[in-house]
Amino acid sequence: MERVQKYLNVILNSLKVLIPQRDRMQLDWRRFLGENITYSGWIMAWLAILTWITFSYTTGQLQSAPTGTIVVLMIWGLTVAMTMLAELQKRHTDWTLWMKGNLYNSITNVQVSLLLVLLILAAFRGFYSYAYTNASFADAVPPTEREYETTVEAVAEAGGPNLSRMPANLEFVSPTESITNRAGVVVRETAYILNEDKTVVTVENRDIHTGATWGAVIDNFSNLLIFRYKQPNLVWRVYAVLIFIAVFGVASTFMYRSERLRSSRLLSGVSLFWITSPIIIYQFLLGAGEGGAEAFFGRVSPDNTLGGFLFSVILALMAIVISFPLGVLLALGRRSEVRGIPWWITYPVAGLGMVYLLFTNTPTLLEGARSNFGILLAYWPILIPVVAYGFQRTWEGNVVAAFSTIFIEVWRGIPFITVLFMSIILFPIFLPEGWEVLNMTRVVAGSAMFSAAYLAENVRGGLQAIPRGQYEAADSLGLSNFTKYRLIILPQAIRLVIPAIVGQFIGLFKDTSLVYLVGLFDLLAVANTIASQPDWLGIRTEPYIFLLALYFVCSSAMAWYSRRLERQLGVGQR
Amino acid sequence: MAEAKTLKTTGDNVIVCNEVQKWYGNYHALRGVSMSVRSGEVIVILGPSGSGKSTFIRTLNRLEEHQGGDIIVDGITLSHDVRNIAEIRREVGMVFQQFNLFPHLTVLENITLAPIHVRKWSRERAEEVAMKWLTRVGIPEQADKYPGQLSGGQQQRVAIARTLTMEPKILLFDEPTSALDPEMIKEVLDVMRDLANSGYTILAVTHEMGFARTVADRIIFMDAGQIVEENTPDNFFHNPKEERTKKFLNQILNH
Amino acid sequence: MAGEIPPGPPSMGQESIPFWRDGRVLGVLAQIAFVIGFIIVAGWFVSNILNNISSLGSSQFICQDGGFSYRCAFDFMEADAQFDISETPIDYDPSDSYWRALGVGALNTVKVTVLGIIFATILGTLVGIARLSPNWLVSRIALWYVDLLRNTPLVLQLIFLYFSVLLGLPQIDSAIQPLGLPMFISQRGVNLPSFEFMPSFAILMAFIILGIIQAQVLWVILGRQEELTGKESNRLTWAIISFIVVIGIGWIVSSNETNQAVLTPASMRIREFDDFEQIVLNRLDVNQLNDIASDLEEGLITQDQVDEAALKICVLRDAPSETNFTSQLRRADIPYEVKRTTRQDQSTSSFIEGDCEAYVGPTAVIAAERDAMDNIIAATPEDDVVNGGAATMLQLTENPIRLSIPRIEGFNFVGGWKMTAEFTAILLGLILNTAASIAEIVRAGIQSVSKGQTEAARALGLSESQRLRLVILPQALKVIIPPQTSQYLNLAKNSSLALAVAYPDFWNLGNTTINQSGRSIQIILLVMVFYLSISLSVSGVLNWYNRRNQLQER
Repeated sequence: MERVQKYLNVILNSLKVLIPQRDRMQLDWRRFLGENITYSGWIMAWLAILTWITFSYTTGQLQSAPTGTIVVLMIWGLTVAMTMLAELQKRHTDWTLWMKGNLYNSITNVQVSLLLVLLILAAFRGFYSYAYTNASFADAVPPTEREYETTVEAVAEAGGPNLSRMPANLEFVSPTESITNRAGVVVRETAYILNEDKTVVTVENRDIHTGATWGAVIDNFSNLLIFRYKQPNLVWRVYAVLIFIAVFGVASTFMYRSERLRSSRLLSGVSLFWITSPIIIYQFLLGAGEGGAEAFFGRVSPDNTLGGFLFSVILALMAIVISFPLGVLLALGRRSEVRGIPWWITYPVAGLGMVYLLFTNTPTLLEGARSNFGILLAYWPILIPVVAYGFQRTWEGNVVAAFSTIFIEVWRGIPFITVLFMSIILFPIFLPEGWEVLNMTRVVAGSAMFSAAYLAENVRGGLQAIPRGQYEAADSLGLSNFTKYRLIILPQAIRLVIPAIVGQFIGLFKDTSLVYLVGLFDLLAVANTIASQPDWLGIRTEPYIFLLALYFVCSSAMAWYSRRLERQLGVGQR
Repeated sequence: MAEAKTLKTTGDNVIVCNEVQKWYGNYHALRGVSMSVRSGEVIVILGPSGSGKSTFIRTLNRLEEHQGGDIIVDGITLSHDVRNIAEIRREVGMVFQQFNLFPHLTVLENITLAPIHVRKWSRERAEEVAMKWLTRVGIPEQADKYPGQLSGGQQQRVAIARTLTMEPKILLFDEPTSALDPEMIKEVLDVMRDLANSGYTILAVTHEMGFARTVADRIIFMDAGQIVEENTPDNFFHNPKEERTKKFLNQILNH
Repeated sequence: MAGEIPPGPPSMGQESIPFWRDGRVLGVLAQIAFVIGFIIVAGWFVSNILNNISSLGSSQFICQDGGFSYRCAFDFMEADAQFDISETPIDYDPSDSYWRALGVGALNTVKVTVLGIIFATILGTLVGIARLSPNWLVSRIALWYVDLLRNTPLVLQLIFLYFSVLLGLPQIDSAIQPLGLPMFISQRGVNLPSFEFMPSFAILMAFIILGIIQAQVLWVILGRQEELTGKESNRLTWAIISFIVVIGIGWIVSSNETNQAVLTPASMRIREFDDFEQIVLNRLDVNQLNDIASDLEEGLITQDQVDEAALKICVLRDAPSETNFTSQLRRADIPYEVKRTTRQDQSTSSFIEGDCEAYVGPTAVIAAERDAMDNIIAATPEDDVVNGGAATMLQLTENPIRLSIPRIEGFNFVGGWKMTAEFTAILLGLILNTAASIAEIVRAGIQSVSKGQTEAARALGLSESQRLRLVILPQALKVIIPPQTSQYLNLAKNSSLALAVAYPDFWNLGNTTINQSGRSIQIILLVMVFYLSISLSVSGVLNWYNRRNQLQER
């Protein structure tokens, strides 16, 4: 109640401005024109064009949507007048001050604001009529024509219209039923046509809506979310996981808040569990034991069962969890300052290698060479000392740093889609014969490698931000290198890069939508299959819009959470 | 310089340095520093900035690697030998200008970390000793706070407690009061004075002349990577031997 | 004593340390252990690969002589590709080799990347500035745009653009023409007017260079004079005017060039360009050519009659002469019909066989074809020869640049710049997506320049443009350029998503090659090399830039 009163007061105060007080008005027209319009020919031309655009667009909108436009125009006129009068009387309220600063701070902006509001309104109206007013929410379109070998009574019993009261010449005056959508607009007409002896009913459906066909999404909702996990022996596992996460999640929130448990072993255990949970959940979803999907908790293959949103989430989570230790190691490796292999070992080894290969490999290559390029290629061992020189120059003999750097840069240098194809096509070639590798495993491995390279760069950024003093303090206390990194450096570095890691996870979550290109059934792949379902032939836009919304909500939520985390982690820091 | 080279290698010398050399690239930071420290001695190292005094003190626990000469700490030669380095670091505590507390750990965790992981004490014992030292430096009530929640002077006292809980034989202070506000310097100096009086071997790099005058057994004056003068505080301040020392004292005392 | 002692070698460790406790030795040992471990793991992989390849059969490494050798890994690339490519910036035919097919893909990737980078930078900068707009609505809308584009997967945006937006556009015959401009947006993509460069453009180019040089010289001379006399001399205006004058002369000179000619049968008696008009007038029996449209409407003549009377033209496909000749015909309202051939001799024989009555091309080519025509006529069956006699050659005037405007001819667009729906989808998708990231970078860059800098600049009395140019931009660019470059790199890598919208980029064609030839290892190797060389060269340039900037900061 109090709040309402407060707002009323603000409104009243703002409106008071409209009653001009003569003595306070200070307006010098000439100065106003000079400062805002006539000081430059360009400005005048621009304002003329803008005014013309605003005017023509507004009149157009007045014709196509009079009510909304008139309301907007009235509000606009009122607020502009309020702001102007307030400015002239130098008697601003909070509102007029805000409008002066953010909406009407120049003649251009006065018009641009109106234009934009009208545009937003038009866009919203267009989307609203597409997505709601003219949309069909009907579950599934039955075949356009269906014949019942049946009697009038049977039709009535089956819930159809009462056809017995129809006139005889039904072909011409067919009774129709119409389905309206939630907005009350007719989206489908169904005609029941009886033949002359009233034994066969032909049902004709005509979709007459111009908007979205949400039925395609509604009908496939569970497909999009969990795909083949709808089966009763599988779906309970999803529910179990959800319930477990909810319950255990709430419990651990309390545990993390508890003063008594701080830095206890139990809490580290809980943290460890959460970090590894994607793998545990994945294994739980796949089940154990004989029987496959026929058994209550039978082991199923992820390639045949996992799909949709569930798949996308699990893939992204697994990849980030697996890539985490790898990324940290790579970051440490790239920054390592371990004494390298001295030049007096590298150069002789490289020289000997070159000479050896020049005498063994080059002659055979020369024999087979068919072009000048082939001959040139045969002398490749000459490159060995060059590479050795580059290695000593860049990394001072530090193999670990060289390996980490090259690994990171190569993975970062190629597109994710090629990584996916590589993992699907090339993975088996890297393993001994006869090792069966699931597609899921291949894709997880590929994504994890790819993600590790990016994660390594994030962690490296965090490591760089740790001041030297932290290393020195740990050293002076006699901590071993391992303890120093485990307890002092990494906890701080990782805390610094958690927002970056969340950002990377969001990226990975979005990138997993690429796996449909290598034939896995992620969210996007399921959405694509809708277009080939007989009921929803060619319908793509609606599932895509649903997916866009889903990804947008998930990613925004995570980004929001990450920003919050960033603020929280800032507490108790330097 | 000639005098500085005469080494007093008596039996209870805990630190012996002989002709210590250090380069940063082409910059010669330490040009043959020789000195020794007896057990229980309090030594203050003075010198203008860039004179190599911090570098020198940091070579003693190998935060900086020296490239020539010998350093023997507590009878152990400091070299590339990793075990010797570990042993020396266990016996030598260091307090830094920037405190260098671990911001993600509480005060108590900061202090008990090294005893638990280096000295392999039980958590109970480490916490008991830690609380003893926190009480000694006067802030036992801050044990469960994070370093970021403490004032600079309190942080430096925690850093001292952290060093002392390791029960080192030698304490190195690297300009411990330089990053503090004037009103906090006193609380840290009081703690240091207390430690000096209770028999620790102390090497301190500091600009606190009052501390040097009243607490030090010996003052070492360094310039341009060399020891210019070694003297008792009385002689150093009132009767310096070297011209360079006089100039330095003039500059800092008569501003 | 200062400084002259060189850094001495470590002189310590005379007393021997057991090597297992020596930090230096331990470091090197760790390195060597790492190398050995790496060799073991890599060796395991390599031996697996070799095993697998030999068990897969040696088909992967078959030589042209039928033998088996790893050296022949890429021999298959010389075989015929046998697949068609929808968009080819260079000539390509399914009988060309895989190398050429992948070359086409590489060029397509480069094309989409370069265009994408240019437009994403423009759009991104605009959105970034809009984010900082004093108008709350503008900054909000920019924020929504950025949020929406950054929180949804790029591939989803691409297929949404392709399937829902572009393929949902009207058919080609009811193409959208925004604001009545000569551009057409339809299911087939976007058709824009383009500039067609005639051979005489080379002359104009020379004049442009000349103009730049003399404008520079004038600028410098006037600048000296200003310094001497201390009077403003409007040197910018003078430099621009003189530049325009030189270009104008260049335009006139190059327009007098007659590089192109039209060949007509002697029976038509064409002596000058206006004769074409007369011929069509005679055929149609109307008074003036610009009456045709109104006569058609009134039903005085029929479309068939117009088509019948239209001038039939033969020309080599994609020749600039077509644009030149047809644009002149259009200006005179002469109806025409173009027959395009893929080879020159096809055009010649169509002319002989009477399929067309105006044969357009470069003067040298047309003259040569006219001279060779007798031989061809002799070889052609007599019944087919229609335009047998001597042909008249008319020199065509040309402008160095002509605007080529897209027109619907049958079921296709002719002229202008064609952007297929696939290309439009990938280009637009990359632009929109990258612009969102660039907008954030630009915003952060501008915001990174502290308010104090603006105030200091104002206090010094710098004008608004001077403030932007001399104070804000240099500092903001230093913050903007490194992340911006990595966005460019991302764009280049993301262009591989062209696969989702069937645009034939490098990766898409590489994938087709894998499917067709079965040589996955080689192609993936090539793809990695391709993208890595792009990435490494760009990050090399970036590193160089960073190093240079760091030096300046000191």
